[in-house]
Amino acid sequence: MKLSELALGVLTAVGGFVDVSELVFMSQAGSRFGYALIWVVVLSTVGIMVFGEMSGRVAAIAKQPVFNLMRNRLGLRLGLITLIASFVSNLITCAAEIGGVALVLQLLTGAPMRLMAVAATAAFIATVWFLPFKWIERTYGLLGLFMLVFGVALVAIHPPWGQIAGGLVPQVPRGLSTRDLVAFAYFAVALLSAVMFPYETYFYSSGGIEDEWGPKDLGINRLTTIVGFGLGSLLAIALLASAAQLFGPAGISPEMIGTVAMQAGVPFGKVGVLLALLGMLFAIGGAAIETCLANAYSLGQFFGWRWGRHRPPREAPRFTLSWILVFAGSLVIVLTGVEPVELAEYAVVASILVLPLTYLPLLLLAGDRTYMRVHANGLLSKTLGWGFYVLIVLAAIAALPLFLLTSGGQL
Amino acid sequence: MKASGSLKLVAGVRDLQIVDCEDCNCGIVDDIELAGKPGAPLEVAALIVGPGGYSARLPGWAMRLVGWVAGRDAVKVPWDKVESVTSVVRLAVTAKETGLARAEARARRLLPGGG
Repeated sequence: MKLSELALGVLTAVGGFVDVSELVFMSQAGSRFGYALIWVVVLSTVGIMVFGEMSGRVAAIAKQPVFNLMRNRLGLRLGLITLIASFVSNLITCAAEIGGVALVLQLLTGAPMRLMAVAATAAFIATVWFLPFKWIERTYGLLGLFMLVFGVALVAIHPPWGQIAGGLVPQVPRGLSTRDLVAFAYFAVALLSAVMFPYETYFYSSGGIEDEWGPKDLGINRLTTIVGFGLGSLLAIALLASAAQLFGPAGISPEMIGTVAMQAGVPFGKVGVLLALLGMLFAIGGAAIETCLANAYSLGQFFGWRWGRHRPPREAPRFTLSWILVFAGSLVIVLTGVEPVELAEYAVVASILVLPLTYLPLLLLAGDRTYMRVHANGLLSKTLGWGFYVLIVLAAIAALPLFLLTSGGQL
Repeated sequence: MKASGSLKLVAGVRDLQIVDCEDCNCGIVDDIELAGKPGAPLEVAALIVGPGGYSARLPGWAMRLVGWVAGRDAVKVPWDKVESVTSVVRLAVTAKETGLARAEARARRLLPGGG
């Protein structure tokens, strides 16, 4: 593979890393708890690297999509439960992303948010219908690199680098009240979920099959997941750290997407806000397409339909109908008037609840020598995989009580 | 009891992807039809594909839900149309010849310009 192709793949992964839930939760977490939650972002990033690498490897070696193999391996009942759970979680996430894009468009144009949601959905449908898979991935991923303005903005406001480095050490801040401790736990779980969204691995592995990956692509898979996700995570940390520096001391809780854009506006003025909004537009837009396609992939793979964007839409009609209906369903949710930030909170909780169900088959398949032969999970992948699996099971058990106790982090 | 012989085949084939002779995905083996009579060995007669095939394997509430969402259609693919069974079930014929292309054709009609 050419170096330029490699760099493009990594850059696409960076630009596509951040979505609306990460924007909201990183900024709120930084504003409320300073740098104390950075270690959770780092830990979750290692988690998504582990499962992302595994899903790419399964696609390259078993040549079968995960949802398809899952049904054969885990049986119809457990498979169907997983399918329904991940479908609902992805649908809410897709609605949150469309709502986020509509808000950004409203800020950019001044037009009503609902009108912008309809326009954005129409644009997404046209994009997926007409553009080849690679172009969809790269257009949104590369234009999402405008988000790098948040990283530059962090450097420009001269943050306390020592304190940021201190945030890498696992910690619970001292002197927190019980209420704040519960909120801290809620944000820790929410950040884990926002970074490890289940749709990411399913979209990534389905993309690998669309691109006809084979054993020779295992290197690029490893590089994309480690370097691409790693650099994307730095962007997420920049969001958290600049919110800690700018909003925390002023007592501002960034609950609006426009407030998040101000993180680039403080050092760079109007240009900074514009670049931030453009970056958010494409990063969130890319995530809307990914979540929608992830649902269509899951349905197509579970029921054995023709699927994939490498085929013209009419050659995979049930798959095509699925993603159009998922976009339409998500738009209906947005048009009911639920705030996108509220949707992002529901999406994060729904996702962490289904994470154990969606990652278990992946873990089993990646370790299965019948399918994976010499490329089955080794000692490191196995240890990290099961270690993170225990972590996400604990987070899933804690998520709902924490969400209810904190009223979605509001307490 | 451990699965063996034909029972093992049923367990191994069920829920596998079906691919036709043109390399197109055309469904999942949702159930198996066995044929035989007392004193004679059981034989696989056909693959059953479609919601009518898998809904009976689900609990009552899920069966009703599937029936409501996807209907009760099922297509039987004679076992002699199966060319090989590996990680997928490969057919010796096209999806159209077995009736497995019907659902895709119905969905195509709902798409813009799908006729």
